[in-house]
Amino acid sequence: MVHYKLIYFNLRGRGELARLILHHQEVAFEDFRFEREEWTKYKTGTPFGQVPVLEVDGKPLAQSNAIARYLARQHGLAGQNEWEQSQADMYVDCIYDLISGTRPIIHESDKEKQKEILQKFLKETVNPHLEKLEQQLIKNGTGFLVGKSITWADLAYYSFFSPMTERFGDSVMDNSPHLKKLVEHVANIPQIKKYVETRPKTTL
Amino acid sequence: MPNYKLIYFNVRGRAELSRLILSCANVPFEDYRIEHSDWPAIKQDMPFKQIPVLQVDGVNLLAQSNTIARYLARQHQLAGQNEWEQSQADMFIDCVYDLHAGMRPVAREKDPEKQQEIFDKVNEEMIQPHAKKIEEILIKNGSGFLVGNALTWADIAYYAYFTTPMMDHLGGQVLESHPHLKKLIQHVGDIPTIKKYIETRPVTSR
Repeated sequence: MVHYKLIYFNLRGRGELARLILHHQEVAFEDFRFEREEWTKYKTGTPFGQVPVLEVDGKPLAQSNAIARYLARQHGLAGQNEWEQSQADMYVDCIYDLISGTRPIIHESDKEKQKEILQKFLKETVNPHLEKLEQQLIKNGTGFLVGKSITWADLAYYSFFSPMTERFGDSVMDNSPHLKKLVEHVANIPQIKKYVETRPKTTL
Repeated sequence: MPNYKLIYFNVRGRAELSRLILSCANVPFEDYRIEHSDWPAIKQDMPFKQIPVLQVDGVNLLAQSNTIARYLARQHQLAGQNEWEQSQADMFIDCVYDLHAGMRPVAREKDPEKQQEIFDKVNEEMIQPHAKKIEEILIKNGSGFLVGNALTWADIAYYAYFTTPMMDHLGGQVLESHPHLKKLIQHVGDIPTIKKYIETRPVTSR
Protein backbone atom coordinates (compact mmCIF):
# COMPACT_ATOMS: atom_id res chain seq x y z
CA MET A 1 0.00 0.00 0.00
CA VAL A 2 1.51 3.31 -1.07
CA HIS A 3 1.98 5.92 1.65
CA TYR A 4 0.58 9.37 0.93
CA LYS A 5 1.46 12.49 2.89
CA LEU A 6 -0.39 15.60 1.80
CA ILE A 7 1.35 18.70 3.12
CA TYR A 8 -0.59 21.98 3.24
CA PHE A 9 -1.72 24.78 5.49
CA ASN A 10 -4.53 24.07 7.90
CA LEU A 11 -6.92 25.48 5.29
CA ARG A 12 -9.11 24.08 2.55
CA GLY A 13 -7.70 26.32 -0.18
CA ARG A 14 -5.59 24.54 -2.74
CA GLY A 15 -5.28 21.35 -0.73
CA GLU A 16 -8.94 20.53 -0.44
CA LEU A 17 -9.55 18.94 -3.83
CA ALA A 18 -6.86 16.31 -3.17
CA ARG A 19 -8.38 15.62 0.26
CA LEU A 20 -11.88 15.25 -1.22
CA ILE A 21 -10.59 12.82 -3.87
CA LEU A 22 -8.88 10.66 -1.26
CA HIS A 23 -11.86 10.71 1.11
CA HIS A 24 -14.31 9.96 -1.69
CA GLN A 25 -12.30 6.91 -2.71
CA GLU A 26 -11.68 5.99 0.95
CA VAL A 27 -7.92 5.99 0.49
CA ALA A 28 -5.92 6.38 3.68
CA PHE A 29 -3.48 9.29 3.77
CA GLU A 30 -1.59 11.48 6.19
CA ASP A 31 -3.38 14.86 6.12
CA PHE A 32 -0.43 16.94 7.32
CA ARG A 33 -1.55 20.47 8.18
CA PHE A 34 0.41 23.35 9.65
CA GLU A 35 -0.51 26.87 10.71
CA ARG A 36 0.60 29.94 8.75
CA GLU A 37 3.10 30.89 11.44
CA GLU A 38 4.96 27.61 10.85
CA TRP A 39 5.35 28.12 7.11
CA THR A 40 9.03 29.13 7.11
CA LYS A 41 9.79 25.85 8.86
CA TYR A 42 8.40 23.80 5.94
CA LYS A 43 8.97 26.06 2.94
CA THR A 44 12.56 25.11 2.11
CA GLY A 45 11.71 21.42 2.11
CA THR A 46 9.26 21.84 -0.77
CA PRO A 47 10.20 21.44 -4.45
CA PHE A 48 9.29 25.04 -5.39
CA GLY A 49 8.81 26.86 -2.09
CA GLN A 50 5.06 26.23 -2.20
CA VAL A 51 2.40 23.92 -0.88
CA PRO A 52 0.45 21.72 -1.32
CA VAL A 53 2.97 18.96 -1.83
CA LEU A 54 2.09 15.29 -2.01
CA GLU A 55 4.72 12.83 -0.89
CA VAL A 56 4.20 9.42 -2.47
CA ASP A 57 6.36 6.96 -0.54
CA GLY A 58 8.54 9.97 0.22
CA LYS A 59 8.78 11.22 -3.40
CA PRO A 60 7.43 14.76 -3.77
CA LEU A 61 4.85 16.01 -6.24
CA ALA A 62 4.01 19.72 -6.24
CA GLN A 63 1.24 21.88 -7.74
CA SER A 64 -2.33 21.42 -6.52
CA ASN A 65 -3.86 20.29 -9.82
CA ALA A 66 -0.98 17.96 -10.69
CA ILE A 67 -1.45 16.35 -7.27
CA ALA A 68 -5.22 16.09 -7.60
CA ARG A 69 -4.98 14.72 -11.14
CA TYR A 70 -2.44 12.08 -10.07
CA LEU A 71 -4.67 10.94 -7.21
CA ALA A 72 -7.78 10.98 -9.40
CA ARG A 73 -6.03 8.82 -12.01
CA GLN A 74 -4.56 6.42 -9.46
CA HIS A 75 -7.91 5.93 -7.76
CA GLY A 76 -10.46 5.77 -10.56
CA LEU A 77 -11.90 9.29 -10.44
CA ALA A 78 -10.37 10.72 -13.58
CA GLY A 79 -12.76 9.53 -16.31
CA GLN A 80 -13.36 6.26 -18.16
CA ASN A 81 -11.18 6.90 -21.22
CA GLU A 82 -8.65 9.45 -22.50
CA TRP A 83 -11.25 11.78 -23.93
CA GLU A 84 -13.21 11.80 -20.67
CA GLN A 85 -9.96 12.39 -18.79
CA SER A 86 -9.34 15.47 -20.92
CA GLN A 87 -12.88 16.69 -20.41
CA ALA A 88 -12.35 16.40 -16.65
CA ASP A 89 -9.01 18.24 -16.96
CA MET A 90 -10.81 21.00 -18.86
CA TYR A 91 -13.39 21.51 -16.14
CA VAL A 92 -10.76 21.51 -13.41
CA ASP A 93 -8.84 24.20 -15.34
CA CYS A 94 -12.05 26.27 -15.43
CA ILE A 95 -12.28 26.01 -11.65
CA TYR A 96 -8.62 27.00 -11.35
CA ASP A 97 -9.44 30.20 -13.28
CA LEU A 98 -12.41 30.89 -10.99
CA ILE A 99 -10.28 30.34 -7.87
CA SER A 100 -7.74 32.86 -9.22
CA GLY A 101 -10.60 35.30 -9.74
CA THR A 102 -11.55 35.14 -6.08
CA ARG A 103 -8.17 36.25 -4.81
CA PRO A 104 -8.74 40.02 -5.19
CA ILE A 105 -12.03 39.52 -3.33
CA ILE A 106 -10.52 37.58 -0.45
CA HIS A 107 -7.67 40.08 -0.07
CA GLU A 108 -9.93 43.17 -0.03
CA SER A 109 -10.40 44.26 3.55
CA ASP A 110 -12.88 47.08 2.89
CA LYS A 111 -16.31 45.41 3.08
CA GLU A 112 -18.00 47.77 0.61
CA LYS A 113 -15.21 47.41 -1.95
CA GLN A 114 -15.24 43.65 -1.42
CA LYS A 115 -18.96 43.54 -2.24
CA GLU A 116 -18.32 45.58 -5.41
CA ILE A 117 -15.48 43.34 -6.61
CA LEU A 118 -17.55 40.26 -5.83
CA GLN A 119 -20.54 41.52 -7.81
CA LYS A 120 -18.28 42.34 -10.75
CA PHE A 121 -16.68 38.90 -10.53
CA LEU A 122 -20.06 37.16 -10.43
CA LYS A 123 -21.46 39.22 -13.28
CA GLU A 124 -18.46 39.22 -15.64
CA THR A 125 -16.80 35.90 -14.90
CA VAL A 126 -18.91 33.44 -12.92
CA ASN A 127 -22.28 33.91 -14.57
CA PRO A 128 -21.05 33.66 -18.19
CA HIS A 129 -19.18 30.51 -17.21
CA LEU A 130 -22.22 29.02 -15.48
CA GLU A 131 -24.37 29.76 -18.52
CA LYS A 132 -22.13 27.54 -20.62
CA LEU A 133 -21.72 25.01 -17.84
CA GLU A 134 -25.47 24.49 -17.51
CA GLN A 135 -25.60 23.79 -21.27
CA GLN A 136 -22.80 21.22 -20.91
CA LEU A 137 -24.53 19.51 -17.96
CA ILE A 138 -27.83 19.35 -19.83
CA LYS A 139 -26.08 18.06 -22.94
CA ASN A 140 -24.22 15.35 -21.01
CA GLY A 141 -27.52 14.34 -19.46
CA THR A 142 -26.20 12.18 -16.62
CA GLY A 143 -26.12 14.75 -13.88
CA PHE A 144 -22.34 14.59 -13.89
CA LEU A 145 -19.94 16.81 -15.79
CA VAL A 146 -18.16 13.99 -17.60
CA GLY A 147 -19.55 10.68 -18.74
CA LYS A 148 -21.92 8.65 -16.63
CA SER A 149 -20.31 8.80 -13.24
CA ILE A 150 -18.58 11.09 -10.78
CA THR A 151 -15.11 12.39 -11.56
CA TRP A 152 -12.74 14.76 -9.82
CA ALA A 153 -14.25 17.50 -12.01
CA ASP A 154 -17.53 17.20 -10.07
CA LEU A 155 -15.59 17.33 -6.80
CA ALA A 156 -13.75 20.44 -8.03
CA TYR A 157 -17.03 22.24 -8.77
CA TYR A 158 -18.39 21.18 -5.38
CA SER A 159 -15.17 22.35 -3.73
CA PHE A 160 -15.49 25.80 -5.29
CA PHE A 161 -19.22 26.42 -5.29
CA SER A 162 -20.09 25.04 -1.88
CA PRO A 163 -17.93 27.62 -0.02
CA MET A 164 -19.06 30.31 -2.51
CA THR A 165 -22.68 29.84 -1.47
CA GLU A 166 -21.73 29.60 2.20
CA ARG A 167 -19.87 32.86 1.97
CA PHE A 168 -21.94 34.82 -0.53
CA GLY A 169 -25.39 33.25 -0.45
CA ASP A 170 -27.55 30.83 -2.41
CA SER A 171 -28.08 33.27 -5.28
CA VAL A 172 -24.66 32.33 -6.74
CA MET A 173 -26.27 29.28 -8.40
CA ASP A 174 -29.73 30.78 -8.95
CA ASN A 175 -29.61 30.34 -12.71
CA SER A 176 -27.78 27.02 -12.61
CA PRO A 177 -30.22 24.38 -11.36
CA HIS A 178 -28.22 21.47 -12.79
CA LEU A 179 -25.00 22.62 -11.13
CA LYS A 180 -26.89 23.27 -7.90
CA LYS A 181 -28.23 19.71 -8.01
CA LEU A 182 -24.75 18.34 -8.70
CA VAL A 183 -23.21 20.28 -5.82
CA GLU A 184 -25.94 19.04 -3.49
CA HIS A 185 -25.45 15.50 -4.71
CA VAL A 186 -21.73 15.63 -3.94
CA ALA A 187 -22.40 17.20 -0.53
CA ASN A 188 -24.64 14.26 0.34
CA ILE A 189 -22.22 11.49 -0.66
CA PRO A 190 -21.65 9.67 2.67
CA GLN A 191 -17.83 9.75 2.56
CA ILE A 192 -17.84 13.44 1.65
CA LYS A 193 -20.48 14.29 4.24
CA LYS A 194 -18.53 12.47 6.95
CA TYR A 195 -15.26 14.16 6.03
CA VAL A 196 -16.85 17.62 5.87
CA GLU A 197 -18.47 17.12 9.30
CA THR A 198 -15.20 16.07 10.91
CA ARG A 199 -12.58 18.20 9.13
CA PRO A 200 -10.98 21.16 10.93
CA LYS A 201 -13.11 24.30 10.66
CA THR A 202 -11.14 26.93 8.73
CA THR A 203 -11.99 30.30 7.22
CA LEU A 204 -10.65 29.43 3.76
CA MET B 1 -4.61 9.89 -37.47
CA PRO B 2 -7.26 12.16 -35.93
CA ASN B 3 -8.12 15.39 -37.62
CA TYR B 4 -7.05 18.34 -35.47
CA LYS B 5 -8.13 21.95 -35.78
CA LEU B 6 -6.52 24.27 -33.24
CA ILE B 7 -8.45 27.53 -32.97
CA TYR B 8 -6.77 30.62 -31.52
CA PHE B 9 -5.78 34.19 -32.25
CA ASN B 10 -2.88 34.89 -34.57
CA VAL B 11 -0.40 35.09 -31.69
CA ARG B 12 1.70 32.53 -29.85
CA GLY B 13 0.08 33.11 -26.48
CA ARG B 14 -1.83 30.21 -24.97
CA ALA B 15 -1.82 28.05 -28.11
CA GLU B 16 1.89 27.95 -28.79
CA LEU B 17 2.65 25.02 -26.52
CA SER B 18 0.10 22.88 -28.40
CA ARG B 19 1.47 24.02 -31.76
CA LEU B 20 4.99 23.10 -30.64
CA ILE B 21 3.87 19.69 -29.35
CA LEU B 22 2.15 18.85 -32.63
CA SER B 23 5.06 20.16 -34.67
CA CYS B 24 7.61 18.32 -32.54
CA ALA B 25 5.71 15.06 -33.02
CA ASN B 26 5.34 15.78 -36.73
CA VAL B 27 1.55 15.56 -36.50
CA PRO B 28 -0.35 17.51 -39.16
CA PHE B 29 -2.96 19.94 -37.88
CA GLU B 30 -5.00 22.89 -39.03
CA ASP B 31 -3.45 25.89 -37.28
CA TYR B 32 -6.61 28.00 -37.46
CA ARG B 33 -5.76 31.57 -36.50
CA ILE B 34 -8.49 34.16 -36.21
CA GLU B 35 -8.35 37.92 -36.33
CA HIS B 36 -9.61 39.80 -33.27
CA SER B 37 -12.40 41.26 -35.39
CA ASP B 38 -13.69 37.73 -36.09
CA TRP B 39 -13.74 36.80 -32.43
CA PRO B 40 -17.18 38.05 -31.36
CA ALA B 41 -18.85 35.90 -34.03
CA ILE B 42 -16.96 32.74 -33.06
CA LYS B 43 -17.06 33.28 -29.30
CA GLN B 44 -20.56 31.90 -28.68
CA ASP B 45 -19.69 28.60 -30.36
CA MET B 46 -16.76 27.95 -28.07
CA PRO B 47 -17.42 25.68 -25.04
CA PHE B 48 -16.59 28.42 -22.51
CA LYS B 49 -16.48 31.48 -24.77
CA GLN B 50 -12.69 31.28 -24.76
CA ILE B 51 -9.87 30.09 -26.99
CA PRO B 52 -7.73 28.14 -27.62
CA VAL B 53 -10.07 25.30 -28.48
CA LEU B 54 -9.06 22.03 -30.10
CA GLN B 55 -11.54 20.46 -32.44
CA VAL B 56 -10.97 16.74 -32.94
CA ASP B 57 -12.41 14.96 -35.98
CA GLY B 58 -14.65 17.88 -36.75
CA VAL B 59 -16.90 17.17 -33.84
CA ASN B 60 -15.40 17.04 -30.38
CA LEU B 61 -14.29 20.24 -28.71
CA LEU B 62 -11.69 20.56 -25.99
CA ALA B 63 -11.06 23.85 -24.22
CA GLN B 64 -8.37 25.17 -21.81
CA SER B 65 -4.83 25.58 -23.12
CA ASN B 66 -3.07 23.17 -20.76
CA THR B 67 -5.77 20.52 -21.11
CA ILE B 68 -5.40 20.69 -24.89
CA ALA B 69 -1.61 20.50 -24.67
CA ARG B 70 -1.77 17.59 -22.20
CA TYR B 71 -4.20 15.67 -24.43
CA LEU B 72 -1.94 16.15 -27.45
CA ALA B 73 1.19 15.29 -25.46
CA ARG B 74 -0.41 12.06 -24.23
CA GLN B 75 -1.70 11.12 -27.67
CA HIS B 76 1.73 11.65 -29.22
CA GLN B 77 4.13 10.17 -26.65
CA LEU B 78 5.36 13.43 -25.21
CA ALA B 79 3.75 13.20 -21.76
CA GLY B 80 6.13 10.90 -19.89
CA GLN B 81 6.88 7.16 -19.79
CA ASN B 82 4.67 6.21 -16.84
CA GLU B 83 2.08 7.73 -14.54
CA TRP B 84 4.60 9.17 -12.11
CA GLU B 85 6.55 10.83 -14.94
CA GLN B 86 3.27 12.15 -16.35
CA SER B 87 2.49 13.80 -13.01
CA GLN B 88 5.97 15.26 -12.79
CA ALA B 89 5.46 16.75 -16.26
CA ASP B 90 2.05 18.09 -15.17
CA MET B 91 3.75 19.70 -12.18
CA PHE B 92 6.30 21.49 -14.38
CA ILE B 93 3.53 22.65 -16.73
CA ASP B 94 1.70 24.20 -13.78
CA CYS B 95 4.94 25.95 -12.75
CA VAL B 96 5.27 27.43 -16.25
CA TYR B 97 1.63 28.53 -16.08
CA ASP B 98 2.47 30.49 -12.92
CA LEU B 99 5.57 31.94 -14.63
CA HIS B 100 3.43 33.20 -17.52
CA ALA B 101 0.97 34.74 -15.04
CA GLY B 102 3.89 36.52 -13.39
CA MET B 103 4.79 38.17 -16.70
CA ARG B 104 1.38 39.77 -17.16
CA PRO B 105 2.14 42.95 -15.19
CA VAL B 106 5.21 43.29 -17.44
CA ALA B 107 3.13 42.89 -20.61
CA ARG B 108 0.57 45.44 -19.39
CA GLU B 109 3.17 48.21 -18.94
CA LYS B 110 3.59 50.19 -22.14
CA ASP B 111 6.34 52.60 -21.08
CA PRO B 112 9.62 50.87 -22.11
CA GLU B 113 11.65 52.04 -19.11
CA LYS B 114 8.96 51.17 -16.58
CA GLN B 115 8.47 47.83 -18.34
CA GLN B 116 12.13 46.93 -17.96
CA GLU B 117 11.95 47.91 -14.27
CA ILE B 118 8.91 45.74 -13.66
CA PHE B 119 10.52 42.88 -15.56
CA ASP B 120 13.70 43.15 -13.52
CA LYS B 121 11.67 42.90 -10.33
CA VAL B 122 9.67 39.90 -11.62
CA ASN B 123 12.93 38.30 -12.71
CA GLU B 124 14.55 38.78 -9.33
CA GLU B 125 11.55 37.71 -7.28
CA MET B 126 10.09 34.93 -9.37
CA ILE B 127 12.06 33.85 -12.43
CA GLN B 128 15.54 33.54 -10.93
CA PRO B 129 14.49 31.64 -7.78
CA HIS B 130 12.44 29.25 -9.87
CA ALA B 131 15.14 28.80 -12.53
CA LYS B 132 17.61 27.99 -9.75
CA LYS B 133 15.35 25.16 -8.54
CA ILE B 134 14.92 23.91 -12.09
CA GLU B 135 18.70 23.93 -12.54
CA GLU B 136 19.09 21.76 -9.42
CA ILE B 137 16.37 19.40 -10.66
CA LEU B 138 18.04 19.09 -14.07
CA ILE B 139 21.40 18.32 -12.49
CA LYS B 140 19.82 15.76 -10.17
CA ASN B 141 17.80 14.09 -12.96
CA GLY B 142 20.98 13.82 -15.00
CA SER B 143 19.43 13.13 -18.41
CA GLY B 144 19.36 16.70 -19.65
CA PHE B 145 15.57 16.61 -19.54
CA LEU B 146 13.20 17.62 -16.78
CA VAL B 147 11.41 14.29 -16.53
CA GLY B 148 12.91 10.86 -16.99
CA ASN B 149 15.28 10.14 -19.85
CA ALA B 150 13.50 11.77 -22.73
CA LEU B 151 11.88 14.94 -24.01
CA THR B 152 8.41 15.71 -22.65
CA TRP B 153 6.01 18.57 -23.11
CA ALA B 154 7.44 19.98 -19.86
CA ASP B 155 10.74 20.70 -21.63
CA ILE B 156 8.83 22.25 -24.54
CA ALA B 157 6.83 24.43 -22.13
CA TYR B 158 9.99 25.89 -20.61
CA TYR B 159 11.34 26.43 -24.12
CA ALA B 160 8.20 28.34 -25.10
CA TYR B 161 8.34 30.46 -21.94
CA PHE B 162 11.98 31.45 -22.28
CA THR B 163 11.74 32.30 -25.99
CA THR B 164 8.79 34.69 -26.12
CA PRO B 165 9.39 38.00 -27.93
CA MET B 166 9.02 39.79 -24.59
CA MET B 167 11.59 37.56 -22.90
CA ASP B 168 14.01 38.02 -25.81
CA HIS B 169 13.54 41.77 -25.57
CA LEU B 170 13.72 42.27 -21.80
CA GLY B 171 15.40 39.18 -20.39
CA GLY B 172 18.31 38.31 -22.63
CA GLN B 173 20.50 37.25 -19.68
CA VAL B 174 17.93 35.38 -17.58
CA LEU B 175 19.49 31.96 -18.10
CA GLU B 176 23.13 32.93 -17.70
CA SER B 177 23.34 31.49 -14.17
CA HIS B 178 21.53 28.31 -15.19
CA PRO B 179 23.63 26.49 -17.80
CA HIS B 180 21.67 23.20 -17.73
CA LEU B 181 18.38 24.99 -18.29
CA LYS B 182 19.96 27.14 -20.96
CA LYS B 183 21.28 24.01 -22.68
CA LEU B 184 17.85 22.37 -22.52
CA ILE B 185 16.18 25.42 -24.08
CA GLN B 186 18.75 25.43 -26.88
CA HIS B 187 18.33 21.70 -27.40
CA VAL B 188 14.55 22.01 -27.79
CA GLY B 189 14.95 24.85 -30.26
CA ASP B 190 17.36 22.71 -32.32
CA ILE B 191 15.04 19.71 -32.66
CA PRO B 192 14.56 19.54 -36.45
CA THR B 193 10.75 19.40 -36.41
CA ILE B 194 10.54 22.25 -33.94
CA LYS B 195 13.18 24.28 -35.77
CA LYS B 196 11.22 23.91 -39.00
CA TYR B 197 8.00 25.09 -37.33
CA ILE B 198 9.71 28.10 -35.73
CA GLU B 199 11.25 29.12 -39.03
CA THR B 200 7.92 29.02 -40.83
CA ARG B 201 5.36 30.15 -38.22
CA PRO B 202 3.72 33.57 -38.56
CA VAL B 203 5.80 36.31 -36.96
CA THR B 204 3.74 37.87 -34.19
CA SER B 205 4.43 40.35 -31.42
CA ARG B 206 3.57 37.85 -28.69
